[in-house]
Amino acid sequence: MLPSERLDFSVISKRPRLTLPDGARLAVWLIVNVEEWDPTQPMPRTVLTPPAGGMPMPDIPNWAWHEYGNRVGFSRVIEVLDHFRIRAVLAINGSAISRYEPIARAALERGWEFIGHGFTQQSMQKVADERDDIHKTAAAIRGFTDRHPRGWLGPGLTETWETPDLLAEEGFEYVCDWVLDDEPVWLKTRTRPIVNLPYTQECNDVAMMLIQHHKASEYYDRAIDQFAQLYADADQSARIMALVVHPYIMGAPHRLRYFRDALAHIRDHGDVLFWTGEEILDWYLAQRGAG
Amino acid sequence: MIPRERCTYSAIVDRPPLKLPNQARIVVWTIVNLEFWSISRPMARQVLPAPTGQVLLPDVPNWSWHEYGMRVGVWRFFDLFAHLGIRPTLSINARVCREYRRVARAAREAGWEFMGHAWEQMPIHKVDDQAQMIAKSLDTLARFAGTRPVGWLGPGLTETYETPDLLAAAGIRYIGDWVYDDEPTEIKTTLGPLVTLPYSVELNDIPMMLVQHHESAYFTQRCIDSFERLYREGAERAKIMAIAIHPYISGQPHRIKYLQAVYDHISRHEGVLHWNGVEILDWYLSAKTEL
Repeated sequence: MLPSERLDFSVISKRPRLTLPDGARLAVWLIVNVEEWDPTQPMPRTVLTPPAGGMPMPDIPNWAWHEYGNRVGFSRVIEVLDHFRIRAVLAINGSAISRYEPIARAALERGWEFIGHGFTQQSMQKVADERDDIHKTAAAIRGFTDRHPRGWLGPGLTETWETPDLLAEEGFEYVCDWVLDDEPVWLKTRTRPIVNLPYTQECNDVAMMLIQHHKASEYYDRAIDQFAQLYADADQSARIMALVVHPYIMGAPHRLRYFRDALAHIRDHGDVLFWTGEEILDWYLAQRGAG
Repeated sequence: MIPRERCTYSAIVDRPPLKLPNQARIVVWTIVNLEFWSISRPMARQVLPAPTGQVLLPDVPNWSWHEYGMRVGVWRFFDLFAHLGIRPTLSINARVCREYRRVARAAREAGWEFMGHAWEQMPIHKVDDQAQMIAKSLDTLARFAGTRPVGWLGPGLTETYETPDLLAAAGIRYIGDWVYDDEPTEIKTTLGPLVTLPYSVELNDIPMMLVQHHESAYFTQRCIDSFERLYREGAERAKIMAIAIHPYISGQPHRIKYLQAVYDHISRHEGVLHWNGVEILDWYLSAKTEL
């Protein structure tokens, strides 16, 4: 289905007001992405190009650079989230659950929400059997947490024309790939509709650090600016704000403080909720009813 | 062997902490890279792509820009490290001993550790006979420096699936290509374990200045931010912080002061060791037996 077939255009200011409990203006959700990179394939992202360019295979240095996030960086991200008592959303490749079992266990012990993020870190357009990939990912999460995942984020937010249909059919209730609004929206599928929650490419360390090549402090500056505007916008209607981190990026020793300081700033506001994706989903369903 | 056959995943928090002598918290490992760029091939890096992005052969402007590092920039390094009383590890294309004898001699006289860095600067994947190239490089460095190198860094950290086996067979005892941890680790080779030391692609002037295009001053900020975090962690667990520099980048007049500022900051702290690669290796091999 084309995007225009899945939802109608709608101006945010013309919609009925959404209200959060206890007079909160904003719900912030924090998504930690944990991936497994296949060392026999080109790396999803790189920090270092080879001398004179090209893409010689295998790419051990960039594989190792990503692996650092899972060996070392993740423990720093956990430390910050524990400090602020934030339950995050773990967007995890299905294969990463057994490969990086200590990470999955740490998230489970803290009551984080697990959402599907592809079985391996590759574009959904390159997956041989998309339904099987989604099914295997859900099964891996259910096998570890005893709960079917409710949410899904495509690797690199990638989708085919069919992805939302397959997600709905495989029991997913929300998707995060459509960064087109500050509120949740309903997407039609060929069966029942699915909710899209406002994820972000703006306050996202991949886009900011690896593509736009900003200094680490820009993560803090941008998060504060984003927060200030959404907080003001919430005069009209409740707003959702997403913050996205990857252990191999924000878990580097030189970046962590900017992540911590951004959360400290937001935590200083009493009328802001830190919610998981499913808490936002359940609230939205209660506010707006079924699509 | 693919990386997973060489090492299983291990979360740093699940390992017993390594301890440094005399309550030291952190080792700073400085690596100066000296390279030979063949004018007959595309340049390893470029500061100035040709108009319309055409590939130049010969690429005289970028060859000269790198050559500046050998003629001028590296002498700023020798001055700085003599002044600081630090003897870095020299990651050196063996051909530098022939083509830039004057520079290699200065490093030998200053007592820097010579670490293998291939014959000349090109991805190791493009070398026809790796074993022969490794042997020739190490023989040349051994003759020049008087001792056979025990460490190795691939050009651009590149490896094929066989490289660690070939390096172990050639007598190499540590490599810097695996930037996947804050601690030394051991990986499997066909000839037994090989130690990895935590080199850096984060505190490294190639990714920072030539790939990410940061301002010169950001080098100081990122190194200080890393140091502050690792120094704190070093109270519990020995930490190693590598700083990787190239004379054609950090040896530029506008950048050298930002490099010096890093060491000025570090010098205001107790419990910091400035060690070279072989000193870190020797410590690791004895520290791990005491666990």
